[in-house]
Amino acid sequence: MRVLLVEDEQRLAENIVAALRETGLAVDHAADGEAGSLLAEQGVYDAIVLDLMLPGKSGQRVLQDLRRRKLHTPVLILTAQESKESIVNLLNAGADDYLSKPFDLGELLARIKALIRRAKGVSTPVLAISDLELNTVQQTVRRRGQVVDLSPTEYRILEYLIHRPRAVVSQRELLEHMYDFDWEHHSNVIEAHISNLRRKLNLAGTEPLIETLRHRGYRLRKEAGSQ
Amino acid sequence: MKSSASVSITRRLVVTVLILELLSAATLIAAITVHEWSVQLEIFDTSLVATAESLMGAVQDTEDEGDNVMLDMRGVRLAKDAVFRVEDEGGKVLGSTGEPPHLEASASGAPFFRNIRVSGRDYRFIVLNGTRIVDPGKANGGVRHSIAIIYGTPLRHVWHEVREAVRFFAIATAFLLGITAALMAWLVRKGLSPVHELAYEAERIGPDDWQFHAPESAKKTSELRPLAAALEAALARLQRSFEQQKRFTSDAAHELKTDVAIVKSSLQLLSMRKRTLDEYGQGLELSLEDITRLESTVEKMLTLARLEQPAESCNSSAASQTSSLRDVIADAVHQSKPFAQLKSIEVAVEINANTDVRLPIDSRDALLLCSNILLNALQHSPDGATVRMAVTANDDTARLTVRDQGEGISDEDRDHVFEPFYRGDPSRSRKSGGTGLGLSICKAICERAGGSIEIANDALGGAVVTVALPAKVVASSTLSASLKAE
Repeated sequence: MRVLLVEDEQRLAENIVAALRETGLAVDHAADGEAGSLLAEQGVYDAIVLDLMLPGKSGQRVLQDLRRRKLHTPVLILTAQESKESIVNLLNAGADDYLSKPFDLGELLARIKALIRRAKGVSTPVLAISDLELNTVQQTVRRRGQVVDLSPTEYRILEYLIHRPRAVVSQRELLEHMYDFDWEHHSNVIEAHISNLRRKLNLAGTEPLIETLRHRGYRLRKEAGSQ
Repeated sequence: MKSSASVSITRRLVVTVLILELLSAATLIAAITVHEWSVQLEIFDTSLVATAESLMGAVQDTEDEGDNVMLDMRGVRLAKDAVFRVEDEGGKVLGSTGEPPHLEASASGAPFFRNIRVSGRDYRFIVLNGTRIVDPGKANGGVRHSIAIIYGTPLRHVWHEVREAVRFFAIATAFLLGITAALMAWLVRKGLSPVHELAYEAERIGPDDWQFHAPESAKKTSELRPLAAALEAALARLQRSFEQQKRFTSDAAHELKTDVAIVKSSLQLLSMRKRTLDEYGQGLELSLEDITRLESTVEKMLTLARLEQPAESCNSSAASQTSSLRDVIADAVHQSKPFAQLKSIEVAVEINANTDVRLPIDSRDALLLCSNILLNALQHSPDGATVRMAVTANDDTARLTVRDQGEGISDEDRDHVFEPFYRGDPSRSRKSGGTGLGLSICKAICERAGGSIEIANDALGGAVVTVALPAKVVASSTLSASLKAE
């Protein structure tokens, strides 16, 4: 999952980025409204955290422009204003959630995750497909009740695939959603992770879960996808 | 609102008009009484004369042979309650009614009037002396009879007429007074309705709604126009200052919340999971920096709040302190040295070596003033530029100018740059722009000392900040001596 943070306050941004990365999200950071708009409109983000008081272009305008372009990325607004009006305005302008500064970092993370889940059409933090169970809060994976030990990247790839059951996910899409600009990435990175995932998930007597479609990408197997 | 002490303009006006009307009515009635009396008396007298003369005419020749006369009352109409007596020269009463008094004829024989009380009634009498000639056709010219007539009727009639006239006027006046009172009350109330409208409009002003537009009716009423205009102006001023305060509060809250958010997130990030000692150490160091920034924001806000207090409410020792401008500039330059060196900016100070200027500001605030202006100039200077500080002074004013070689200042920024939390270029983040309180603090210091501060574009490019302060110029030698003495 990849998150865009648009926040001009350098130190605050550093902290939020660090916290988001620690929970296994890929994060890009824009320090002003123009850059934020530019990044957001690429449409590769699973959620956007948007500060309101931005130099150059206000957060409200970034949000409006995004929605005008028919991009429905969930947006969480960070604001130091608490007037009811401005919050109502924001929600009406297409914001999905808001947090007032000073906020709780843990709450921010939980809300971002909830937004991502909801945008993918899931409302509980535990995702289950066939005999596979993924707990997005504890970031643990079980198959047939047995804990499968995954690396953070493997977990993220699996989480992304589970969020899009039965859809074909290309390597490029996975790259876009797994990594932020700060990471060196190559397409064979994904291949390597997928093969590791397959190996770890393939317990004795189970069906292989991840299917490869040549030149198109990956998907969770149909029969596995039917819950 | 109805208290015993309340004064009603309507009531006052109506009462005043009524009293005036009543007074004029009383005067009028008095005049009418006098006039009516004289007119009625004249009429009365005329009828007295007429009746007396008809009595005279009723003195007839007797039908006998003598030249006697008699009174033939046929054709004589007497008024009600009239009394009369007709006598001839011999005192023989030719006819009478009642008991008229005996009145001496006047010497000239001209008729005259007398008011006399007869049997408890006021009467007016006429005394008429005339000559009646019997048989004027005879050769001897007839017999002359001197007839004296006294005739009187009660004056009651005159009184009655006068009373009637007065009563008519009194009733008419009372009626008029009633109508006037009602009309006045209505008119005054109608006339005062713009006041009510103004009050209604003014009543709607509340802490959330400072909008005040005087109603048209009040603006059109010349007596109310000054009040309406004054209200509008005063409220506009209040609204501006209220909004400024509100903006300040909201900006301050934003600033503080952001700083607190940073501190909080730093510490929460640190406690998200177990970390190495090194990570904890780094995290704490960063948190400490964050807290230092919060502290500095709070300190600046408190400084501004202190400076915006009226001078007399602060302790007097601080208010009476002075500082040496030269020392303060030297300190400010020294303080900003690391920053200037970082950007390789040279700070040039032009100041007369033989004199010094003493400012009526305590040295802490003076240093704050100079270093804030200098810091602002350094922030807006490109690397390798020169910032020039110059002091000129005459008898009672010192002028400090600080020139930078930056991009100068736009007209829009110039109007707002001294407002708290105003950051000229919105693309400048908090980091480069500071909290946006520095120049506000400068302005507060200058205004408190009775001076001024302004910013303009230098002819050579860049911005120039000019501070004018009341000051005392002293010779440098005495200054250093006094410093040593301290």
